[in-house]
Amino acid sequence: MTSIRSRILIIEDDRKMSAALVSGIEAAGYDVIAASSAEEGFFLVHSKSPDLLLLDLTLPQRNGLDILKQIRSEGLDIRILILTSHNTVEDRVEGLRTGADDYLGKPFSFPELMARIDALLRRILPPTLGAMVTIGDLAIDTKNRIASRNGQALDLTAREFDLLLYLAENHGRTVSREMLAKDIWRETSRYTPIDNVIDVQVARLRRKVDDPFAVKLLQTVRGLGFSLREPQL
Amino acid sequence: LKIPWPKNIRSKLTLWYLLVLAGLLLVYATLVFAFQYVVLTKQIVHDEIQDVETVEGLLDFNPHGTLELRQDYYSRPQSHLLIDRMMEVRDLSGDVLYRSPTLNGMPLGGENRRGEGDASFDQRIIRLQDGSYVLAISHIHSIQDRVLLIRLGYSLGPLRERMLQFMLLLLLAVPIALALAGFAGQMIAKRALRPLERMTARAEGITASNLSSRLEVRNPDDELGQMARVINHLLDRLEQAFFQLQRFTSDAAHELRTPLASVRTIGEVALEKGHGSDEYREALGSILEETGRLNETIESLLLLAKAEATQPGERQTTFVATDLVNEVLSLLEVVIEERNITVVQESDTEGKVEVLADRSLLRVAILNVLHNALKFSPNNSMLNISYSYSATTPRKLLIAFRDQGPGIPPGEHQRVFERFFTSTARTTASQSGTGLGLSVAKLVIDRIGGEMWFDEQTQPGAKCTIALPIHE
Repeated sequence: MTSIRSRILIIEDDRKMSAALVSGIEAAGYDVIAASSAEEGFFLVHSKSPDLLLLDLTLPQRNGLDILKQIRSEGLDIRILILTSHNTVEDRVEGLRTGADDYLGKPFSFPELMARIDALLRRILPPTLGAMVTIGDLAIDTKNRIASRNGQALDLTAREFDLLLYLAENHGRTVSREMLAKDIWRETSRYTPIDNVIDVQVARLRRKVDDPFAVKLLQTVRGLGFSLREPQL
Repeated sequence: LKIPWPKNIRSKLTLWYLLVLAGLLLVYATLVFAFQYVVLTKQIVHDEIQDVETVEGLLDFNPHGTLELRQDYYSRPQSHLLIDRMMEVRDLSGDVLYRSPTLNGMPLGGENRRGEGDASFDQRIIRLQDGSYVLAISHIHSIQDRVLLIRLGYSLGPLRERMLQFMLLLLLAVPIALALAGFAGQMIAKRALRPLERMTARAEGITASNLSSRLEVRNPDDELGQMARVINHLLDRLEQAFFQLQRFTSDAAHELRTPLASVRTIGEVALEKGHGSDEYREALGSILEETGRLNETIESLLLLAKAEATQPGERQTTFVATDLVNEVLSLLEVVIEERNITVVQESDTEGKVEVLADRSLLRVAILNVLHNALKFSPNNSMLNISYSYSATTPRKLLIAFRDQGPGIPPGEHQRVFERFFTSTARTTASQSGTGLGLSVAKLVIDRIGGEMWFDEQTQPGAKCTIALPIHE
């Protein structure tokens, strides 16, 4: 990471949501500013030149899409992530066509939002994941698709390996079921059966990765999802 | 100046009717008039020819060589037409030998024409010097070896006067007839449209609160009766949809309130009693799980709304049914393996059967059905999937899913498809999800043009059959 912290502007009219986002994203190490109206947001876009904009589409007075259009027509170099409760496929397509870089439907999981923010800003910074990923005594060879713990190879199915790698990529962060459904299972909508499948799959992975070993790496974070990390002492 | 065109149908109908009638009457009057004129003219000519014959016998040269009409002519009891007779006799060189006193010395027709009266009685209309018109005929006749041209005519005045009277009579009759017809037309239109007025008044009174009210159908076979029936069908569907919407809204509100109540209670209890961060952590995790449930319910409700709005035949594609089932099975594979369930597939169909449906919606339906079957299957049990053709025409593809679970209690085979239905059986109550899975599946299958039911005879376990339209 560079020494300059990325600056994120949040344009969101719901005060509770805005306050929660500010505190959560600041905790992740970003410089966060917030606006509650389109006018204020515009002013901050020009005066503070943020790297990324979190934009709520349903704002008082002015539609979020207008702001999006104007920013794009001015040619400003700024990543834009749309947050909205209108999350049909059509809305999504329209948002992306208007010039948004990403789109997240409300209610979203916070880990997923952070993952998206990181991904969008990583487009500016160089990628960090190498050919070998290690977490504690877990080593993942991303090229040959082999995982081992303490030098002992783990017998994983293709899906299990994908799941483990995805968790490793998001090392230290929590991965929500929504993210897994979208990124690993490639399901566009999330219904009860998918959650069930995810839970069973994670349980199986845990049996192979954690059960034979003393140190447990795959954690379930209640209400949030799963996380691959060394347990804090 | 613009003529105001009437706005209501009754006046429009009457006006059109009157316009057509007026046109017909004018054509009729013109034809009658022309026919009458021709007939009367022919009658005059006929009379004139007879008169010429008579006159020929009465003409004579006196000893002085002057042509005379014999005097005893006046003693005859003739019609007044004879007195009105105008006559001129010329010789072939054009000299006037005789001119009747009725002409008052005016010439009748001027110079001789070539071949005039030679072959037949040449007929023509001549304008006299006083401006009056005469219908005259000419005839060549020889008296005492002298060849004479006799011109004889009657004034057209009386005929024209009579025709004018006739025309006035016709023109007077037409407006009277039109007025009567217009009045009658207006009354007929009013009578014919009266049921429509009644229907309008009735329909105006139908609102959301009395959607069960219907239009009166007096004669189901006439046009208005058919319309009333169609509108009543529409009202049936509206009422049904409205009722569903109402029930659904209240169900949904109830269903959303349950997790919301949990969230509230968990939060309140944690704040009231909790002291350590572990307790808060536990409470927050529990709250987040509830929000997940809320979100799933909303997603399912939206999916239901989407399926509900789907028109039959929309976004249809053809694809192989077994491929879709296998795709869903591979998604659920890990659950199947974990529970050590054996999936057995058998088929009575030959080859790959293609079905016609919205693939993404059908996938959700089959996923829900299979997941439901797996949910109730005990560990180490068997799940049968069989494919066969229906006995109906057109034949459909039947896909039956049979599990070895607890089955469905009697009387609940229909109710399991109700939204938010949870079985009374204790074994299932603990495993219920959003309560929308099977409702979504059934609605989707219905919209695709298929059917879905649970077999009531199957014991033990449950057998769910889906019938799908085949692409042949």
